[in-house]
Amino acid sequence: MKLLVCVKQVPDSTVRVKVAGDQKAIVPEGVTWAISPYDEYAIELALEHKDANPGTTVGVITVGPPRARDALRQALAMGCDDATLVTGADVETLGGLATARALAKVVDEATPDLVLCGKQASDDDQGFVGQALAETLGWPHVAIVTKFVASDGGTEIWKEVEGGHEVWKASGPAVLTVQKSQKDPRYPSLPGIMKAKKKEIPEKDLASLGADLGGPSVEIRAMEPPPARKAGRVMKDGDPKALAAELAKLLRDEARVL
Amino acid sequence: MTAPTQGILVIVLAAAVALGFGIGGYRVWKLYRYMRLGWDEDRSDRPATRLRDELVIYLGQSKLFKRPYLVRGLAHALIFWGFLVITLGTVDLLLNGIFGLHVPGTETGLFAWTIDLFAIAVLASIALAGVRRMFFRPPTMHVAPGGYVILVLIGVLMLSLLVFESAGIAAELVKQGFTPPPLAGLFAPAVRGPYAHLVFAGAWWVHVLTVLAFAAYLPHTKHLHIVTTLPNVLFRSQRPRGALRAMADLEEQETFGAATMRDFSWKQHLDGYTCTECGRCSDQCPALATGKPLDPQKIVLDVRDLLLREGDLLMRDVHASGTPPAHQTETKPEELWACTTCAACVEACPVTIEHVDKIVDMRRFLAMMESAAPPEAQRALTNIERAGNPWGESREARADWADGLEIPTLAEKPDAEYLYFVGCAASYDRRNQRVAKALAAILRSAGLSFAILGREETCNGDPARRIGNEYLWQIQAQANIEAFDRYSVRKVITSCPHCFNTIANEFPQLGGRYEVLHALTLVDSLIKEGRIRMAREGPVDRGNVSGHPERTTSSVDLAGGREVVAYHDPCYLGRHNKIYDAPRAVMDAVPGVERVEIEPHHRERGFCCGAGGGRMWMEEQVGQRVNHRRIDQLRAAQADATKVASGCPFCLIMLEEGVGAKGLQEQVRPVDVLELVASRLEGSADASH
Repeated sequence: MKLLVCVKQVPDSTVRVKVAGDQKAIVPEGVTWAISPYDEYAIELALEHKDANPGTTVGVITVGPPRARDALRQALAMGCDDATLVTGADVETLGGLATARALAKVVDEATPDLVLCGKQASDDDQGFVGQALAETLGWPHVAIVTKFVASDGGTEIWKEVEGGHEVWKASGPAVLTVQKSQKDPRYPSLPGIMKAKKKEIPEKDLASLGADLGGPSVEIRAMEPPPARKAGRVMKDGDPKALAAELAKLLRDEARVL
Repeated sequence: MTAPTQGILVIVLAAAVALGFGIGGYRVWKLYRYMRLGWDEDRSDRPATRLRDELVIYLGQSKLFKRPYLVRGLAHALIFWGFLVITLGTVDLLLNGIFGLHVPGTETGLFAWTIDLFAIAVLASIALAGVRRMFFRPPTMHVAPGGYVILVLIGVLMLSLLVFESAGIAAELVKQGFTPPPLAGLFAPAVRGPYAHLVFAGAWWVHVLTVLAFAAYLPHTKHLHIVTTLPNVLFRSQRPRGALRAMADLEEQETFGAATMRDFSWKQHLDGYTCTECGRCSDQCPALATGKPLDPQKIVLDVRDLLLREGDLLMRDVHASGTPPAHQTETKPEELWACTTCAACVEACPVTIEHVDKIVDMRRFLAMMESAAPPEAQRALTNIERAGNPWGESREARADWADGLEIPTLAEKPDAEYLYFVGCAASYDRRNQRVAKALAAILRSAGLSFAILGREETCNGDPARRIGNEYLWQIQAQANIEAFDRYSVRKVITSCPHCFNTIANEFPQLGGRYEVLHALTLVDSLIKEGRIRMAREGPVDRGNVSGHPERTTSSVDLAGGREVVAYHDPCYLGRHNKIYDAPRAVMDAVPGVERVEIEPHHRERGFCCGAGGGRMWMEEQVGQRVNHRRIDQLRAAQADATKVASGCPFCLIMLEEGVGAKGLQEQVRPVDVLELVASRLEGSADASH
């Protein structure tokens, strides 16, 4: 089976993101970049399939600026077979639809059996590109995937739902947006890291793909940091039973978490 | 005395010698070749120190005389010294028997007396050993039948020696002119008579044949340690104990860490041959003591046994690699991960075996080749990689602990004399941030010129190296060396022994050489120089140096009177870096503090808090928690102590957890020694500003 994983490089979850002066973007200086967590699950799911089915190839692609190569190297170090960077002018401000259309061109050329992405990126959480890619390709799409297995005449795909799973069957190529892999994303071995360092990562120019990069897109009007956390309340004086009842009430009515 | 080897008997003797030494020698040769399957580690540095260690540790048996083994140690030392002397006599016997020559000095009365006295000492010692093994065997001792065989052989050797000496005297073959030695002299009358010559000859032959049987038998058992301890001590690691072995040129290597017998060095294999199975390492291991599957002796013997099993195959086929020890049924990964690298085993071992290096080398294979470090540990390493600290807290928050304290960064004050390398724990862990503040207050009060790196500081990689990810350690260490060198840092202070250990002992492996001091060593000197003034009395709660209202449970308060404080030796300060006295001296200088010890588990026998070796970042699934055992020891030894002080952020975290879990917050509070000092600093109430 030939698998293709689409990933996005995002600020690492430990970074305290700062909003730029124009309030339309984040400050890139000092940011540590990483593969978006759900995309990591997608890579892992693909590699788990490869472990169980030798002969599977796993390619990985990303649309992004030159620094996104690091994300691809990480994917290669984990065990992916090849990586491609799609880049060009204005790639960082590319909208979701344009990204999906650009990816579709690469997919057309690569002809994989399945395309996997994370179900949403951890920076904008739109959860859009995977679905738009499927739509552009004209392929079926299954969301919130946790497992897939090749079977007679197609692929069985597990979709997580509340309280269980739905199992779908795709009779041909499909796009999977991934919720979780069976095991935690593997850490690259040192030999894997060393090999990945030496691997060639070809670049494709965004403009020359021939995709329609115009079209509807989302414009960021303003960006602001979340409001500063308010001080918490300490409840300590009084009878424990009464305190507990009061706490339960507050959790339900004020914090609205119960 | 003339040997009873006339005529054909010389031939018989020569043949017996050839047979005995031949069988033994063949085995030694084989073992040597197996050992050389290991890679070529260079142990030729510091020859003068090596020679000194040989005299003190090998000849002087110094590591045998450690508590609580003093009597047993003496017994062994006597056996050993006795053997050295008696071997000289044996050489003389054989030379005499075959060539009629004598080793100079062996015909003297002095020699006869020395042999005699040692024979008595040896007999007494083996009798003691035999009785102990048969009737008073400690539960951790396992005695193979070979153990008794050796005792019997030694006994026969000594007795036959005494008999033929007696007979020799009786037969007046001994030169006249000196007093007969005690035991031999005692037996002499009993073997007087016409059969004295026969008794002499009989005992002589029994003795010589037993020696030759010994020579043949020895290399097939652990008693080979008699011979291998000599090189094992000579070639012991002369690195600072806390420094793990460097791995150069990671980019060029194809395999990492120890998986097969070829991946261990010849010295590590020699360690295996030298293990006497005495169990002192097991006795001291905190993991074993709390029910974990790790037994340091077992690790050493597993590797040895595997070498003996696979040696022939590996010698025959240069492409064969054998099975990694961690994949054998014997050594399981959980044994390796249970190690806190506290080095109590290394400290205890009388024959200088290096258990910790072996364990880390096997971890290196699991971590770097198989990505098989425990998941929680791996998460900590990923956090170090991405956020520069194992907690995964934001890089930008690194210097937040210093907000409002106006502590300059090196960028603001590049000519500062000292860099205070704060470390991840003091930067991000709330309890330990107070220790950083305490140190800052102390340094200020002493008028020291210092600065911090602030956001330019990143983890020095110590957890990564202990867990076995050498690559990540090199990246982190290099990043820090670059930052240090950017500011031409020369002197570094740390409040964490792990930071101290890696910056002082391991950064030089990558070219980073600095003058590194643990805060307590520095504070000790500052106190002695009179640069730190402490008041007995002062405002209550001034120990809460940050000025923020916080839980008083862990803040150091200042009662007017005496407080009894127990000192807990951090492994990376004490055993690894031999810093036992400075922290104690500092405590003793603090007015109103009465220092007590957690005996017998203190100084070189200090019991680990459980967080070393990267275990801070791993869960304990089995047995009692190591830190809880430590609290038990504290309470048993010093129930009156109201505080327990250490000099390490990990120890502080672990002791706090233990005290909290056991509900002992009102009885004993864990603190850092620096906090004791800071809480008594003389000066304004806000000593931290």
